[in-house]
Amino acid sequence: MKSTKDTDQDCARAWEAMPWVLQDSAPQEQSAWLTDHLARCEACREEFAQQSRLRLALALPTGIQLDPEAGLKRLLGRIDAGEAEASAPRARAGGWVTRALVAAVLVQAVGIGILGAELWSSGGNHASYRTLSNPAQPAMAGAIRVVPDTNMKLADWNTLLHSLQLAVVDGPNDVGAYTVMPARTSTGDAALRQLRAAHGIRLAEPVAANP
Amino acid sequence: MKYADIDADETDRLLLQRMAAGDRAALATLYRAYHGRLCRFLSRLTRRNDVIEEVINDCFWIVWQKAGSFHGDSRVSTWIIGITYRCGLKALRQRGDEPVDEEGLPEDRTPAFDPGEDRELRDWLGKAMERLSADQRVVVELVYGVGHTLDDVATIMQCPVGTVKARLFHARVKLRNILPALAGEPITPKENRVP
Repeated sequence: MKSTKDTDQDCARAWEAMPWVLQDSAPQEQSAWLTDHLARCEACREEFAQQSRLRLALALPTGIQLDPEAGLKRLLGRIDAGEAEASAPRARAGGWVTRALVAAVLVQAVGIGILGAELWSSGGNHASYRTLSNPAQPAMAGAIRVVPDTNMKLADWNTLLHSLQLAVVDGPNDVGAYTVMPARTSTGDAALRQLRAAHGIRLAEPVAANP
Repeated sequence: MKYADIDADETDRLLLQRMAAGDRAALATLYRAYHGRLCRFLSRLTRRNDVIEEVINDCFWIVWQKAGSFHGDSRVSTWIIGITYRCGLKALRQRGDEPVDEEGLPEDRTPAFDPGEDRELRDWLGKAMERLSADQRVVVELVYGVGHTLDDVATIMQCPVGTVKARLFHARVKLRNILPALAGEPITPKENRVP
């Protein structure tokens, strides 16, 4: 004969087992044990009957009438909208980059155009220049090559050039020769003569057009 | 896990893999397969059909986006119901928790074919369930209605198994004290005893 304590423990064990026996997930031996216990315990039998009724009630149709197709259609629409929204920023970003590149190219094209027009309009007025890789400067008509004496003072040299209206356009070269040009071509011969006659000038010769 | 459950889970996993690759037909199949059971589950949380549909779509929106990150730590059904549970709680928090009130159900929530015995049982269940908290209703639905194990319920509700046990215990004690009275039976001291 079982004691009251044993019975209470069995009822507690039966209480624990009921949900899993009802949902058919309990081990076979646990189900068999509960069946045996219920045959001997009226209280647990009543409890099990209530639990069975609860499970039966929960299995009844809920009466909710929702159309799964309508819900699915709304879900797909939401997914479409989400994907469109996700792709829109990419498209917007791509458009922005493209527009920025086009704008940069246009600015460069306009800049190059303006520069070209500027060069075109002022082309001959710019002073020519020569780089070391260029061939020697061609001889200029009326140019005079002058070699001043090494003892000639700079002030005397400047005074002489100023009085004869000559300007240095090249030199001095390796031997100390300068190339000078008269302000007016018509005065070239006179300037040559005066240079030859001037004190402190060792050499004054017209530059040959074809050396 | 029963063989039928294993087969169903395998099918669900294949559908998830296809969904991860952007297959909308797989999404539609999974949606239709789960719509009924999610409706039933959510009906324990709210009586509003519009909220139920919104929560189901919120759930499948997440399932669609996360299909590729499902690692298979649980059954697919456990994962989906867990998402539904959290979406449901979020919806209730946003709208204010409305206890299920079977008496206040609109006509369209009453099945067209409702034999007297079923109606009586449904009324009995409704009155009992409204005495429970939302968490207790969910545990009762998941264990007795859906047939989940304690571990599954713990995964769905993201809480320890001990918490699920406690919620189930308290729900059963409440129901034990309420159900006989609702059935018109006198409450005896023995029926109030809890093992």
